[in-house]
Amino acid sequence: MGMDSEKNSLCRLQCSYASLDEVFEIGKETYRGQQYSQIYFARLHLMRTLLYSLVSQWKPQTPVCTVLGLEQGKECVIVGTLYKHMKLKPCILDEYSKERSAVPLVRPHNFMHDDDYLVLEDESGRVKLGGDLISPSVFVTGIVVALHGKETGAGDFSVLEVLEAGLPPQIEFPLKSREDKYIVLVSGLNVGSSDSNPLQLQLFIDHITGHLGDEKEQSIASQIVHVVIAGNSIGIPRGLVNGQNLASKDLSRIAEPIKELDILLNQIAAGLPLDIMPGPNDPANFSLPQQPLHRCLFPGSAAYNTFRSCTNPHSFEIDNIRFLGTSGQNVDDLEKYSDAKDKLEFMERTLRWRHIAPTAPNTLGCYPYTDSDPFFIESCPHVYFVGNQNKYESRVIKGSEGQFVRLISVPKFSESGVAVVVNLRDLECHALSFGTQFSS
Amino acid sequence: MAQTQTLALVEEIESLVSDKLQVVSYKWLSRNYMISSNEAKRLLQEFVEKHDGGLEVVYALSGWLKGSHPSYHIRLVTGPKLAEAQQEFDGNCSIQVYSVQASIPKDPAVLWNAEFIQAEELFKQPWSVDNCLRDNRFCGISSSFVQRNVDGMPVVAATPLTKASVGIGQTKMNVLQPQKNIAHDTIPRADLKSEDVVKDVKSESNGTGSTGVHDQVNKPSEDKEKVVPAGKKKAQSDKSGSSTGGSLASFWGRASAKPKPSSLPVESSNAVSNHSVATEDAQASAREADGSGDDDNQDVTVRRSSNRKRRVVFDFSDEDEDVVSLSSPELPKKQSSQDSKQKDNKSSEKATLNSDTKRENKPMAKEEKSSDEKANQPFQEELSVINKCTNNGKSSSEKPQSCAPDISVNKDSTKNAAPGSPKRRKVMKTRIDERGREVTEVVWEGEETEAKKADKVATKKSENNVSTNSVNSSSGPATKKTPAVVNTTGKGSKKTVNKDPKQGNILSFFKRV
Repeated sequence: MGMDSEKNSLCRLQCSYASLDEVFEIGKETYRGQQYSQIYFARLHLMRTLLYSLVSQWKPQTPVCTVLGLEQGKECVIVGTLYKHMKLKPCILDEYSKERSAVPLVRPHNFMHDDDYLVLEDESGRVKLGGDLISPSVFVTGIVVALHGKETGAGDFSVLEVLEAGLPPQIEFPLKSREDKYIVLVSGLNVGSSDSNPLQLQLFIDHITGHLGDEKEQSIASQIVHVVIAGNSIGIPRGLVNGQNLASKDLSRIAEPIKELDILLNQIAAGLPLDIMPGPNDPANFSLPQQPLHRCLFPGSAAYNTFRSCTNPHSFEIDNIRFLGTSGQNVDDLEKYSDAKDKLEFMERTLRWRHIAPTAPNTLGCYPYTDSDPFFIESCPHVYFVGNQNKYESRVIKGSEGQFVRLISVPKFSESGVAVVVNLRDLECHALSFGTQFSS
Repeated sequence: MAQTQTLALVEEIESLVSDKLQVVSYKWLSRNYMISSNEAKRLLQEFVEKHDGGLEVVYALSGWLKGSHPSYHIRLVTGPKLAEAQQEFDGNCSIQVYSVQASIPKDPAVLWNAEFIQAEELFKQPWSVDNCLRDNRFCGISSSFVQRNVDGMPVVAATPLTKASVGIGQTKMNVLQPQKNIAHDTIPRADLKSEDVVKDVKSESNGTGSTGVHDQVNKPSEDKEKVVPAGKKKAQSDKSGSSTGGSLASFWGRASAKPKPSSLPVESSNAVSNHSVATEDAQASAREADGSGDDDNQDVTVRRSSNRKRRVVFDFSDEDEDVVSLSSPELPKKQSSQDSKQKDNKSSEKATLNSDTKRENKPMAKEEKSSDEKANQPFQEELSVINKCTNNGKSSSEKPQSCAPDISVNKDSTKNAAPGSPKRRKVMKTRIDERGREVTEVVWEGEETEAKKADKVATKKSENNVSTNSVNSSSGPATKKTPAVVNTTGKGSKKTVNKDPKQGNILSFFKRV
């Protein structure tokens, strides 16, 4: 048929892909009564060795000591885990208190209060932190830092300087000029929910698979080499999943969105490689790291070699460019317990603290690891993305050793109709937006 | 494309939009008429140019937006708003016809509906069919590296009951599936041939598929047998639905007491005679079972071999056994008639064994059948069959325990006629099994071997649910049956395990017949 010649005129570009998710995969999930102290211990040890090496360059003269070894008035450096005491942080015991105030038990957005204070804790003890330099609104529980200061008469530790771990070392960015290749990041599809627009999603799929558009547009689309869906792909009505037995008609209401999603993913996977990550609303486990969505949820799409179900957080390498991303839980939790001017700043902080989710397991659900902390960032990514945010934002940050990272906040597609396209050649990114409003 | 074809299609579009008020989007057009997306868009463009007025057109604009941040925007606009929307774009934007329809719906998602229904249809086609949805053949970009793994399904033929279908409801759903598969299997090929035929073929296939399903539903018992072979066939043909079909088939397979191997020939025939064939197969398998066990008693050597095959078959199909409890009501009767024939032919013991083994070979089915048959047949046969089964010492023997209880249960009511051994004595025993159900069983106290089997049966009985028991209520001598029961119950018990003990077994309705 005549169409054959058209079809073959454009070939989709390919890229090399390597998944680095093994650290996030929990092979044998067991709950033998492990305590969360073990993951904190692992984290402290991991980062303390790192910080000790940094401290020797940072403050070569100042001695390093433990919390118990603090002497009043003597300047030293202590290394430990920060704990932020928050007055408004919801506590399970509040539910049992005899006097219940009129204020509801949990406020959804932010639990910060002016009276919050920080405490540094290591194996030997803890000490309250004072001084103007360290602001409780910036820090959260679970970060390991080195502090330079001295103990005051009141028993506080007055902080003079803070040393964070900083950006981890980064592999060389392949600089040779290459052709334009694009990777598309999208999140919050919310298929099946009442406020998602299936036409918009279909436009998106048509565009990236090369159905829509003229020759020029299709040639741009042929340069898209990868798609990552960062969580919240399914919008099951929340009222149904409340632990009750379901009537058979409700069962189909739960299954319909997943089937619809499978058909849509089938269309994408038939054209180009696809990664799908679980999100807070997806049928996956709750605690981080979320395990990959099961293949049986996608009987049609899982048959393709281009379909990959990934963990959350997700780390992978495309053409030797390292990507790291989450479905948003880590940044959303930071937003509840600390303050920053935008989401990208939260993301930057997590990189500088070298930890994807410092609030886990304190306020963020986490698997009780006993001898490792998988959220520790060992190698700096080139692109760091976070899904299910309110709007699209992007920035580049630079590290002290020449690292540079493209930070991307991926908006919810069902609300905004915006996906993000990253050019692998120079890590520039732009938005890909879709509109279907017929203003009448 | 030839001009004539273009014209024909344009006219068709017109009729679709004006008469049927359908939304014709380029994607729908391309999939329906097997043309590429670019072709479809061109066609719509021609159509719009030729046909003025009376129709609403939706355009897809795409281009870079004006603004500080680079943003590639794609939007749909209606005809009147086209010029205005173009202003938003920085420089040239490409304009293409997205769809034509009689009127613009309030909710834009309505535009997507027709396309999605089509996509869903394509999605539901049998696994091995490579349709335009699955290989994305109509897009403008070719991706040669994409591969689709078709043979993910295990071969179900060998293990008819690989999937433990829980309850009748599930099997019913499964029943429908293989039917659909069958229907779609033959037809989709035609779909891919020519554009013109596509629509017709599709409707045909859809129609046949649905009618096929309806037919199946209308004749449950017969269809079940058909389904079974069909399902099994499907399973073998590596269809995605085949696994369910296979399990379903296995489910029915037991009901029809057909060995897997024999079911294959049955499938091939796949005629109305399926039912009878099934029963015959069941009998044959029963005989085989007997044969393997009792060389002496078997009149026909052939039977033995078939029994062996059956044995093998059953080894695989452990899990599904429990579901088999729902067998077509007619089957048991037929089988019982056949069983009775068998009885006549064989020695009483052997005969019972035969019938029993038949049932046992298909654990679930057997139990059912045996229950039905028991009504008609002397339980001795079953017992003998059971004995034979156990004697065979095949994998079935492992299951004898599970089978035995079932059979024994089956046999309890109708077992009154115990033609065979004068030494056996039927005893009604009531006990609470491990799952807290009260199990009333007729246990034959007799020879040693049987006694042993009875032991096994007893243990299995506990495993077997009341459902099995109810099905087997008519089962005769328990002890003798235990071996047979053991065989089948092993398989059957597993099946019954899945069943909710509180649910009555549907065969209980027929057991007094």
